Amino acid sequence: MFEAFTQGLLLVLQGKPFLYLLIGAGIGFWVGILPGLGGGATLALMIPFIYKMTPQEALPFLLGMHSVVQTTGDITSILFGIPGEATTVATIVDGHPMAKKGEAGRALGAALMSSLVGAVIGAGFLAISIPIVRPLVLAFGSPEMLMVILLGLTCISTLSGRGKRGLLLGLLSGGIGFLCSLVGQDRQAGILRFTFGQLYLWNGLPMVPVVVGLFAIPEIIDLAVRGTAIAGNATYGKLGKGVLEGIKDTFRHFWLTVRCSILGSFIGILPGLGGGVAQWVSYAHAVQSAKTEEERAQFGQGDVRGVLGPGAANNSKEGAGLIPTVAFGIPASSGMAILLGAFFLLGLVPGPDMLTKHLTLTFSMVWTIVIANIVIVAVSLLFINHIARLTTIRGNLLIPFILLLAFIGAYTSSQHIGDLIVVLLFGGFGYFMVRFGWPRPPFILGFVLGELAETYLYVSTTRYGAAWLLRPKVIIIFVLAVAVALHPFIQQRRLRRGSTKK
Amino acid sequence: MKSPVGKIIMDCFVIAMAGGVTVTALRWPFKTALFPAAIAFPVFVMAVIDLLWNLFGKQKEGAKGPTGDFKLTEGLDPAVEVRRTVSMFAWVLGFFLIILLVGFTIAIPLFFLLFLRLQGKEGWKMSIGLAAVAWLSFYGLFVWLLNIPFAEGWILRMFSH
Repeated sequence: MFEAFTQGLLLVLQGKPFLYLLIGAGIGFWVGILPGLGGGATLALMIPFIYKMTPQEALPFLLGMHSVVQTTGDITSILFGIPGEATTVATIVDGHPMAKKGEAGRALGAALMSSLVGAVIGAGFLAISIPIVRPLVLAFGSPEMLMVILLGLTCISTLSGRGKRGLLLGLLSGGIGFLCSLVGQDRQAGILRFTFGQLYLWNGLPMVPVVVGLFAIPEIIDLAVRGTAIAGNATYGKLGKGVLEGIKDTFRHFWLTVRCSILGSFIGILPGLGGGVAQWVSYAHAVQSAKTEEERAQFGQGDVRGVLGPGAANNSKEGAGLIPTVAFGIPASSGMAILLGAFFLLGLVPGPDMLTKHLTLTFSMVWTIVIANIVIVAVSLLFINHIARLTTIRGNLLIPFILLLAFIGAYTSSQHIGDLIVVLLFGGFGYFMVRFGWPRPPFILGFVLGELAETYLYVSTTRYGAAWLLRPKVIIIFVLAVAVALHPFIQQRRLRRGSTKK
Repeated sequence: MKSPVGKIIMDCFVIAMAGGVTVTALRWPFKTALFPAAIAFPVFVMAVIDLLWNLFGKQKEGAKGPTGDFKLTEGLDPAVEVRRTVSMFAWVLGFFLIILLVGFTIAIPLFFLLFLRLQGKEGWKMSIGLAAVAWLSFYGLFVWLLNIPFAEGWILRMFSH
């Protein structure tokens, strides 16, 4: 085993594979920065290039690209408030307010370093857990997976609002997300739901335009209303200074980073959940780590822990996401599904062979993730001051570029003018959500996981009737969800009691 | 705009949406209606509770907005805020309409020129320079390198026929 582990490293460090790794990581760097141009879509675009490659060259190329998009996706999320990737939305919540306060450098330093820690932990998770995870993945049926989705939604609803009203608005927001996911042809009976006679809507509302509209348009409007740069009137010197501080923050809150990486890894191995859930659950965990009500109130205003959690988790889930893909041929995300297609193109069959005959190649994937992230984080840190200075450019010069990126990013989703209409509609809706204090994160979670939740509910009900509600694991996850919902109130009561005693 | 009136309108919108989904779901077969009904009805109930909260409850709780989301800039003159908001929405809509009429290839430099000159009050040199940079980046990356087909505008399509 150890021999295969070291041989995996030597394999990646050979001339051609290493060169392909660098090319892939370079492409991933820009793909991550460009909003809307997703890692999954780019993986698909890159597949035609691997026909003439050997598996030893193709995997570093594809994985090198795919494993760094979340790392650089955080950069766009922090600087512009536009998700560079759908999996880096949570980084916006605290990262962008930090940029606005003139702490872009610190936020970027923290995001990059936590991404590196996350990537290393995720890769380590992949290395050590292959023989262990099989029973865990197979033990989770549709009812449990449905409850895991509800648990994720409850987590983010509880923590994205204050008090009972906040919880209500969070759940409402998540519910609307679920409702929006209903649009399109129903997968069970083929009935068209809310398509209004439009062929464009048959496949449902595309995710990228919805996410771009919901998050980018309100930011663009606010940037225009403010009439200043993204970082307000902060000076150049102030921006760059914090990079080292951000790196230190990662180690100052090291256990939080590690915990979020492990959370991301666990979610990463559960098929279908992926980065969408990992980032929010880890963000929720970061918020939960606040000891006082005042400390918690800092989240959303630019708390570095809100950057560290998602930053670590969205990278750690990449390595862990390979576990079900490689070991069982069950892709954990859309990106992994495309990678699975590449496996077959290269003549590799996921399953026991990958853990015996091709074990060196499997371990080379672990090393690819680690090395690609080290290279990209080093390059990003080297040029971070230049990148961070983008936030001091006048708003009026930036707005057309951000709007262009938003529109083109959305258009690449299905190359239909309807993508732009979706951006406008959800841009308007997102603006009013922000205006009236409705949290957007639960909406995105509900929207992204709606289709999956429907499938799980349907399968559970068809197979077990109402009895699935009484399955022990379902009850445990449900109790956990209720506990998560009640936790802030119990904590609040304890704090109140504590202050009364004092 | 932050008055309960806006919040009430938002609630009414959600009530109408969730109510509509619930009623529509009743006409579908069980397997199609299961999830929509399971979601829409609770959303309907929650939206009604929030509406009642807005109408009769204390406005203090939740007034500070969500903790896990970004907040709009505060402290500006309301008249300026409304004017700038409406103006920016108009520019966003305008960009979309230009794309619809003349396609991305022409719309990008045109929008940049118009926005930078009229809204940004930038000089000709800066406006033309940035419009050229935007167009070259767009064409080089998305058209030339990624080969993404961009739709022609209505006007161009009309002439080509």
